[in-house]
Amino acid sequence: MENFNETNQLRPGLWATVNERYPGAMITKSDFVPLAKLRKPLSESRLTFVSTAGVQPKDSIPFDTVHPVGDYSFRRVPSDSKHSDLEIHQLKYPTAGAKRDLNVIFPIERLQEFAKEKVIGGLTTNFFSFIGYNMDAERLERTLAEDIADAVEAEKPDAALLAPA
Amino acid sequence: MSLDYLKEAVGSGDSEKLIRYVRLHFGDGDEAAGRAEIDKAWIEALKLLLDVPETKREFILETLAEKDAATLAHLFFHLHFYFVRRSGEWIHDGEL
Repeated sequence: MENFNETNQLRPGLWATVNERYPGAMITKSDFVPLAKLRKPLSESRLTFVSTAGVQPKDSIPFDTVHPVGDYSFRRVPSDSKHSDLEIHQLKYPTAGAKRDLNVIFPIERLQEFAKEKVIGGLTTNFFSFIGYNMDAERLERTLAEDIADAVEAEKPDAALLAPA
Repeated sequence: MSLDYLKEAVGSGDSEKLIRYVRLHFGDGDEAAGRAEIDKAWIEALKLLLDVPETKREFILETLAEKDAATLAHLFFHLHFYFVRRSGEWIHDGEL
């Protein structure tokens, strides 16, 4: 895997700003996070999508939005889902707009269109979703992040779109 | 607040840090709002019992006797949001 250079990966002082407003809220993260260069044209690349929007299939157990320390699970969202197949369980961001048009927060139909129009080579069978209210950052990194990384890798994408809610 | 921050508060008996965390959670980051939300849930629960309706006390006693403390604590948080939603005054941006 080739790394991009390290400059400007995160806004300088981001973690310090968060910790100033919410003491101890975030782990200090100064490690360089390696990104991979795309190895083939986007039009030939299978794309996956990872989101913290709390979007999930209607028949799956709702994300735990009430737990004081958070929910460290994720849901697979079939990439051919329609808006009507999905629902949002997320307490911490305004969902009114997303309920009218899910694509504003979870652009699944736009990605389906890109695949159909061959802008991208295709989509993985599943996308991945979790909620961002996870107050144990170390547990998040040790469990949820690892679990999603394994699940993403199993679908063999060429590129991943990451979108915080 | 990190988990370490909260565990340190438990260790030192700093209840104010712990309840502040709960208020921030219930108030979506606004401590005063969270305090009002706690009051709102209790008021809603109290209102439901004023006429002394028949309740399933066996269920309550069985649940308290049979379920572990962590499950009951989790249920306690669920009940807070249940009564807040039932009050009809929903301050949160999102959905449960």
